[in-house]
Amino acid sequence: MAAVQPFDDNPCRPRHFKPPPCAPVVPAGPARQALEACRSRLFFTRVLFACVFAVVALRIVEVVVLEGGSAQSHMPRFRMPVPPVPARTDIVDRNGKLLATTLDSPSVYANPKQILDPADATRKLVKAFPSLKSEDVYAKLTSGKSFVYIKRRLTPREQYEVNQLGIPGLQFQHEERRVYPDGTLTAHVVGYTGIDNSGFAGIERGLDDTLKDRRDPLQLSLDLRIQYVLREELQRVIDDFTAKGAAGLIMDVNSGEVLAMVSLPDFDPNYPGAPDPDHPTLSFADRMFNRNTLGVYELGSIFKIFTVAMALDYGTSTLASTYDASHPINIGRFTIGDYHGKHRVLNVPEILMYSSNIGAAKMAMAAGGQKQREFLSRIGLLKAPKIEVAEIGSPHFPGKWRDVNVMTIAFGHGISVTPLSFASAAAALVNGGVLRQATLVRQPPGQAPQGQQVISPKTSEQMRKLMRLVVEHGTGTMAAAPGYVVGGKTGTADKVSGRHYEDRKLLSSFVGVFPINDPKYLVLAMVDEPHPNKQSHGYATAGWTVAPATSRIVQRIAPLLGVDPVDESSPEIQRALAVDSLQGKKIEAY
Amino acid sequence: MIRIATLFWLVLVSATGFAMFGVKYQVQALEDELARTKRAAAAEEHEIRVLDAEWAYLTRPETLDAMNRRFLSLSPIVTKQLHTTAADIPMRPPPPAAPPTLPEDAVAVATAEPTSPPNASPNAQDGVPTLAATPTPLPATPEPPPALSALRVMPALLEKPAGAPQLAKALPVKAVVKPATPHRAKSIDDLIAQIMASR
Repeated sequence: MAAVQPFDDNPCRPRHFKPPPCAPVVPAGPARQALEACRSRLFFTRVLFACVFAVVALRIVEVVVLEGGSAQSHMPRFRMPVPPVPARTDIVDRNGKLLATTLDSPSVYANPKQILDPADATRKLVKAFPSLKSEDVYAKLTSGKSFVYIKRRLTPREQYEVNQLGIPGLQFQHEERRVYPDGTLTAHVVGYTGIDNSGFAGIERGLDDTLKDRRDPLQLSLDLRIQYVLREELQRVIDDFTAKGAAGLIMDVNSGEVLAMVSLPDFDPNYPGAPDPDHPTLSFADRMFNRNTLGVYELGSIFKIFTVAMALDYGTSTLASTYDASHPINIGRFTIGDYHGKHRVLNVPEILMYSSNIGAAKMAMAAGGQKQREFLSRIGLLKAPKIEVAEIGSPHFPGKWRDVNVMTIAFGHGISVTPLSFASAAAALVNGGVLRQATLVRQPPGQAPQGQQVISPKTSEQMRKLMRLVVEHGTGTMAAAPGYVVGGKTGTADKVSGRHYEDRKLLSSFVGVFPINDPKYLVLAMVDEPHPNKQSHGYATAGWTVAPATSRIVQRIAPLLGVDPVDESSPEIQRALAVDSLQGKKIEAY
Repeated sequence: MIRIATLFWLVLVSATGFAMFGVKYQVQALEDELARTKRAAAAEEHEIRVLDAEWAYLTRPETLDAMNRRFLSLSPIVTKQLHTTAADIPMRPPPPAAPPTLPEDAVAVATAEPTSPPNASPNAQDGVPTLAATPTPLPATPEPPPALSALRVMPALLEKPAGAPQLAKALPVKAVVKPATPHRAKSIDDLIAQIMASR
């Protein structure tokens, strides 16, 4: 077993050559058997590995050669930047038209360390954004920092273009931007947001939390088409009478929903700070000012509807009561006279029709200051209005309610209220006497919000008839819109300047309701400092400025609102609007 | 015996191992697909938001008004154009005796064809301003006697004779004399082409 083959068996072997040691020859026996078994196991393992490698090799061939393109699905996950759901919900109008939305507006930044060819990248970027300066961009790209903004707030198209450039090292940073597709049209209602998308004005500020919490869009009561009509007609009044500004609102008298609210001059909420090219002299604060909810005005004669309603509701006057308006009233340093003076005894319908200050003052005195104050408080004119926008103005009224105040408040001087409060109160006078809070958020149809009965339905009916008389025969004839039975009241106030009234500066306003026999909508239009023109024969009063505008507005919006025209001379309507105290006599006969 | 048991367990272990890997990869693939779909949906949603905003911008009343002024010249509905009940809608006029031919001279047609003015009657009755392109020869006649005699077949118009001169004022005479295109537009493009051609 241990026999070793002699290594000098070869006689020719050179002397220095020694054959390498050789594995011992294992003789047959149990040791040899064990060795054989080892060999066969090794062979088996080799075959096994060969098979596995063959499988792997075949699989590689299959994946690379046979499957080709579909192998992409096994690539590592590639993260495309996808904008998250916006943090602020949309605002839409009552028909679902978009008023404000949040769009992804990414900023593009570069990591100059990863930019391979700064000169080439600069050339491409400047070509894509002509507003960038090539030396600035090149300086940024070669600055050696790891983060430089190239351009903030891209539009989707610009983002697409940057992607098309395909420059490595450019990245997007997710940012959001509030967009107002309708621009100036709803500026004062919707408001605008700041750089961090928190509300700065209007609904955006008033309902800031709601907009952040909600997922589904916030639907306003506003109707964009009506808003457009109102704005266009008010702008026309401003242009025709070279006025300083105007305001107007349209309200559903039965639900308190505001369908349109316009204050001019206005601003573009997309670029709130940018100067207005049409009015370069106007400050941002002037354009931001919401005359409907923040501005408080001595509205003048349109206030007489409240005086008459108060007197009728308390029973201190009836429609047949008469008051002597032949002489002006002198009280303290004031003289109360009539603009459209008749210089005779007037009854209650005539006081309203001819807008007699003397008559209204005497009516209010007959009722007394206590009742007048109580009534104005009841119809919500002595407190700030409640509505969803952030800009709310508190009324100004005398702390001590003296006789002179009673008289002047009777025709709308000495008390300043917001046009919005006025509209809510006026709606309550005609809708059967229910005062509802004005709202800019759409109410479910058919469900009028809870209101408060402030005057009796009978007084409300009388007020409707009287307001119809004003348009039929009184100072508001130009507000008539054939077929839509408009009723209303004109008001021309002298503006307060310091401690006294200015004769030349007017605030003309008109409140109209249609159809007055079954009130549905209220239109309040107001123009600030109109100047007479040729067409108005030297007048800048409400009857010549905003009353015709109201007529045009009503004729344009009524078909949109589904109000059917009626024959105004039909017996039913004549009967419904006949004033009892006149007993069939013609107005002119009085 | 032991060897068979070992073999059995070996096979079982490797089978479960393979199965587990298979399932794991399947789940991973599904998760990938889910993530991809979610991302695609979010991207799609964002696209929709952008398009919505764009649509709102392109259809704002200001733009529509300007486009209307440029292409259509539609004006707001006036009260007398509105018919609110079925009874207000006028009856269809009797079919014309002869197809309405284009007049060479408005007066000549009015006197020569007293029974073929069906086109004019509903329009004149309602006072609806019609497109200048429709052939309405009768109201435009400068002399009322032949027009009235021609319209005697239409009693509705005689109730409101004031309608005819009003319309005559509204319609330019040259529009009537001009050879108009009586055929109806087949498509909206056709209509727009017609309107563009008429100005």
